[in-house]
Amino acid sequence: MSGVSIDHLISIVVLFAAVLLFIGLFNQTLSVAVDYQRNTSTAKTCGDLLDTMLLTPGIPIKGTPVAFGLQDPSLTQYQLSPFSLMRLDSSTEAPISYQKTDLTYSTITTSPHNYLLYPYTDMINYSTALTLLGISGTYGFQLSLTPTLNVSIAQTSPSTGPLSLSLGVTGTGFPLANANVNYLLIPVLLNTNYPDFETIAHQTGTVKTNSVGSASITFSNFSPNPNLTYAFVAYAYLDGITGIGYYEPSPVGNQSIVPFLDPLSTQSVTLAHSDDVPHTSTNANTLYYNTTFILESQNYAIQETSLGSSNPSGNVTSGTGTGNSPISISMDSYTPGILVIAYDNAGNSGVVMMPWGFSSLGFSMTFGGTPLNHGWVATDLRQVQINGVSYQAKLSLWSVQGHQESG
Amino acid sequence: MMRTVEVLLVVFLLGAAYVATSSYITLPSPSSVSPLDLNQLAYTTLQELDARYDLSSAAFQTNNLTAWGNLQIALAASLPPNMVYNLTVYNVNTNSNGAPLYSSVASISNAANLVSSDASSYLEASSNVTYISTPQQISTNGVPVTLYILDCSDTNGWWTTGYTPSSLAQTVYSLLSPYFKTTVMVQNTNQLNQLLNGQSLKGEAVNNAIIINTCGEAVPIPTNFSSKSGLNYTQGYDSKDSSYATYDYTLGKITQLYNWTWVSIVGYPFYYVTNTGSLSNSQNNFGIYGMNMVQGYGLSAFLEGLDNQPYSYTGSSTGQPGVVYLTSQVQSLCNYYGLYPSISQTSTRALPASITTQYHLVVTNSLFTTTSPNNPGAVYRHLNGANYQGGFFALGMARIPDIRLAALGILCDYQPARYGSLYTAAGSNRLVVLQLGIVGGG
Repeated sequence: MSGVSIDHLISIVVLFAAVLLFIGLFNQTLSVAVDYQRNTSTAKTCGDLLDTMLLTPGIPIKGTPVAFGLQDPSLTQYQLSPFSLMRLDSSTEAPISYQKTDLTYSTITTSPHNYLLYPYTDMINYSTALTLLGISGTYGFQLSLTPTLNVSIAQTSPSTGPLSLSLGVTGTGFPLANANVNYLLIPVLLNTNYPDFETIAHQTGTVKTNSVGSASITFSNFSPNPNLTYAFVAYAYLDGITGIGYYEPSPVGNQSIVPFLDPLSTQSVTLAHSDDVPHTSTNANTLYYNTTFILESQNYAIQETSLGSSNPSGNVTSGTGTGNSPISISMDSYTPGILVIAYDNAGNSGVVMMPWGFSSLGFSMTFGGTPLNHGWVATDLRQVQINGVSYQAKLSLWSVQGHQESG
Repeated sequence: MMRTVEVLLVVFLLGAAYVATSSYITLPSPSSVSPLDLNQLAYTTLQELDARYDLSSAAFQTNNLTAWGNLQIALAASLPPNMVYNLTVYNVNTNSNGAPLYSSVASISNAANLVSSDASSYLEASSNVTYISTPQQISTNGVPVTLYILDCSDTNGWWTTGYTPSSLAQTVYSLLSPYFKTTVMVQNTNQLNQLLNGQSLKGEAVNNAIIINTCGEAVPIPTNFSSKSGLNYTQGYDSKDSSYATYDYTLGKITQLYNWTWVSIVGYPFYYVTNTGSLSNSQNNFGIYGMNMVQGYGLSAFLEGLDNQPYSYTGSSTGQPGVVYLTSQVQSLCNYYGLYPSISQTSTRALPASITTQYHLVVTNSLFTTTSPNNPGAVYRHLNGANYQGGFFALGMARIPDIRLAALGILCDYQPARYGSLYTAAGSNRLVVLQLGIVGGG
């Protein structure tokens, strides 16, 4: 009798344990399949969402957007608006405050003297974008825009003698051999005070890259020295693929000019003394400045033009009180280009460049949340053009509705 | 002991079932769960290569080694390093039976074969060929149709955020006027009043016309209909219910009378009436003066008028299907007419499909895939016996309006032809196909 009971007991225990084990195993298989189904859905949404962003003219230059879109409203297909992109909160560095405008600025820089500083008050942030896209609480995303071509420029000549520059043009896959490079050199005389340090006659030219995407340029009639600096801009292109590079020598002295973009609707830029950022200083020197605007024409030629409206040249002072107000430059139009600011005084001199239109200096941008710590992140990629400059738009998308991780 | 043996057998069977199930359930690889959309990447790459017509030039210079070498360099530089590609150019000729005949002309590739790849194509025209495309003029029974665009200076727009009615009018004029013998910009509500009385503005045909209202959810109302001293005030204002829904009813009647097609470009149709003169003291509840809110009563009244039903002060409703997609036929016609709005749109004011039975309407063209019980954007024709008499094109999209959708809707409904004068010229077209695949990570 007791043998039967033990047999019964053992069989019940073993059966119960086995059922539990297999329920777990089958459940795991099913949950993996369900996860894959959800992840496929996320991947499909990723492509749809990226096309929605890139093909919807949404973010206007003025006012609050009612849709999240980046397409240039005056163009078709995957051509993005360089100004809509400037309104995205894609700061790569810590925000910068400027006491005189009482504003905090989002910061994208590529070097200590090439800035894109835009006021947060006029920006579209990540949570607003999620709401405008209708995916708040459903998905998170990160949109990155990277130039297809990297145009690197370095000065190869010694401190004295004719200026020599080397260029390297590489794509995301391979170097861009046989590419045409149009360039513009803006010399800046610094040996006298404003307004005599105006830019002198610029030089333009074209060069071709060799089989490894490199080229060198020598300006036999231009030798930089402490009283003569320059700004250099180059467009590289081959069969529709276009990139931009730029170079300016390191500035002299600790004081410089910082260009802050005003809200795009005002079409103006505020020039600040670096010693006033973030807090107003009273000990800095006045800096004299002169501005030049560079734009690219349809046939890749680079043109230099002056800003004809308010304050194309003048001086920037620091400190408080009358006469020390920030200087405002009107940008005249919504034609994308590069604002080049040469400045000088009392041992502080150099050139600062700022893009007017996101793509003008080939800046990269990353907008949105971070995909870290999300189990499954779908990505999709498109080739786009921003004011003629080739970019790659990559969207990373993840679900925020519970844990979805498999595979 | 027997029970234990039986249980062990059961356990064995369960294990066997699990192993069998697991072997049949082959989970896809991560790359197939979340594939890169190679089709769209190929398409955008071709588009970029042709941004300044370099691809078009190379496609017709297949013997030019420099041009082809440059094309390959640009292609390789623009694609991620783990991408393999095959770009082939086909000559497009016409077969004896009229069907297109594609013959391969040249090809560049960085892989022997592309497993698990996707492709996109691009049709290139020779730079030596000038295409002259002549649009067919839209007509009804051989009589040219007049296009009226309401560009009334004495009105305001609502849900036209980011645009003014005038800017929308200019855009739609540039998009549609080539397809019409006569396009008339209605400059003010006085001219609209003239039109509502059946009088032509420039000697054009009033019957069978298309009227595009660029004021969004608001409808221009002439002073005659909105002012107490106006001749048609009783046809414009419902004193009993204190509403301008009567005006919308009158519009419906006139639309039916003259066989017009009324176009509402965004949002809830007939939700407001607007006249910055006679309604200068009235605001639309959102602070926009020169406008009066009619609410959903306007839509019902218009449809009643269109169907020749007696006027009743009845509300209406719309649906919110959310994201909707252009139908595949409309997407195809986007290429034909060269209009490329986003294929996905957001609809928050879609008309219910039930209006077709309630008001004797037939949908002659639907821009979007059906989202029953709503129709986000469709051309409705009113059935009068076996004939159509009056039409209504309502785009129930959320703001901001995309005026290209309105133009596309009209074109898709009438489908005028574009006559390409040199389209059949031999050797004038080449098809470029870019096939992409990914190596590794599969």
